[in-house]
Amino acid sequence: MLELLLQTGLNALYAAAYLSLVAVGLVLIFGVMGIINFAHGELFMLGAYVVVALYSGLQMPFVLVAAIGLVFVGCVGILMELSMFRQLRGNPLGGLVASIGFLMVLQALVAMGFGVRMEHVPPFTQDVIILSERVRLPVQRLIVIIVAVMLLVALWLFLKRTKFGWALRASAQDKEAAALQGISLRTTSLIAMFIGGALAGIAGSLTAPLISVTPTMGHSVIVAAFIVIIVGGIGSLEGAVLAAFIYAFVHTGVTTFLDGVIADIVGLALMLAVLVIRPTGFFGSADRA
Amino acid sequence: MLELREATVSYGKVTALHRLSLFVGQGQVVTIIGANGAGKSTTLRAISGLARLTSGEIRFQDARIDNLAADVIVSRGISHVPEGRRVFPDMTVRENLMTGAFRRRFGPEVDADLEQTLVRFPRLAERSQQLARTLSGGEQQMLAIGRALMARPALLLLDEPSMGLAPVIIDEIGSIIRSINQTGVPVVLVEQNAELALSLADYAYVLERGRLCLEGEAASLRDNELVRTAYLGV
Repeated sequence: MLELLLQTGLNALYAAAYLSLVAVGLVLIFGVMGIINFAHGELFMLGAYVVVALYSGLQMPFVLVAAIGLVFVGCVGILMELSMFRQLRGNPLGGLVASIGFLMVLQALVAMGFGVRMEHVPPFTQDVIILSERVRLPVQRLIVIIVAVMLLVALWLFLKRTKFGWALRASAQDKEAAALQGISLRTTSLIAMFIGGALAGIAGSLTAPLISVTPTMGHSVIVAAFIVIIVGGIGSLEGAVLAAFIYAFVHTGVTTFLDGVIADIVGLALMLAVLVIRPTGFFGSADRA
Repeated sequence: MLELREATVSYGKVTALHRLSLFVGQGQVVTIIGANGAGKSTTLRAISGLARLTSGEIRFQDARIDNLAADVIVSRGISHVPEGRRVFPDMTVRENLMTGAFRRRFGPEVDADLEQTLVRFPRLAERSQQLARTLSGGEQQMLAIGRALMARPALLLLDEPSMGLAPVIIDEIGSIIRSINQTGVPVVLVEQNAELALSLADYAYVLERGRLCLEGEAASLRDNELVRTAYLGV
């Protein structure tokens, strides 16, 4: 029993790691731009398809492919800002609708290029760390956890210690006051979209060998990410990371001990419960939401 | 150095500011007084680029600025301390001050200015690692002014710096404004507290429902019958 709990804990840790990367980007984009990016799950999906194309297909080294996934999807984020969100500034509902349209375009493009089927991505390493008879941690999962922690720490340092990090937080807290300091929303939006896209992209690239890769794989991720940012408090990065852990442990635990469908229901119930008890989420405040 | 020519701002059908002409000379403190909704804040917002003119023009240091974006106008040398302070609540005092220098190249000069600002506002120095939301109203006002000074402005716009503050703190803010002006920075001061405004200013404009109704040397306006009854309450 203890071993099963330990194993579930490790699985949850891995799920929390990649979910944090997706959710934090979503929060950052919402904070700076006021836009709920529905296409965020598709940015995750694009990261996975970069691996399908370059790693499974062209047999390039996985580390290089993951780095390409990060940069490429970050650039797709920038493209979204330039082509849609910039034109719809001051119209958050327009941004949301445009992002829904964009997610369909991305799904269709990937389906046209790769076909509507489940892609087989070979593992980049078969190594498994054997902690005991029944507690095993595949190195692939460990790497997802390590990279997620590294990127989240890097993001935290960027936001707390650098000029442009301050500019991003200032824009998120008060756009007009930020403009009065000479901070252009055009600049901070580009940075937010790049970071948001890059984090979703690398999450998709790293998990591609571990999950089923299809053109519609973004759905389940975006649903989980929405639950996470609502539980954590919209606009709070710390809250998103904490909520990703809570959600991943609850979801993985229920999946292990009961089943996956019940886990989805419990996840949504968790969000409802938080909305009833504390509508601003764990870390959210009313004036920021 | 700053000139408004027949500046008009309309929000839809409502005219917030009607053909206002205003001049700020080198080293002056100019005040705009008037009741709530008289167009005082709108005037400052038009200068700093937060509100667009529907007609007229604004010139600063011999160049038109009324078609520039707010973040560009900051680089031209105009810093605006908005109504209600608008400090960044979830950033520390130090981070708030540093964002004020966003348009400058970070380095020893900016660091020296930060030191100097903390010397000028000792209460901010004590709280430099605290979040701005935990400061009192007076401290937040000092932070907002300090943040604006970090840009090394050539012109400072202050919107209702005395709002909601205790009389002792208002005096303190008053002497801060005076000391800033003594360093050669001209100030446009918008106030409902006409007494404070006229005691600080060289020249004053009185607005009423978006229109200029009176202007003159601050000293002479203090003795003006209309100003005395309507704004000074004596």
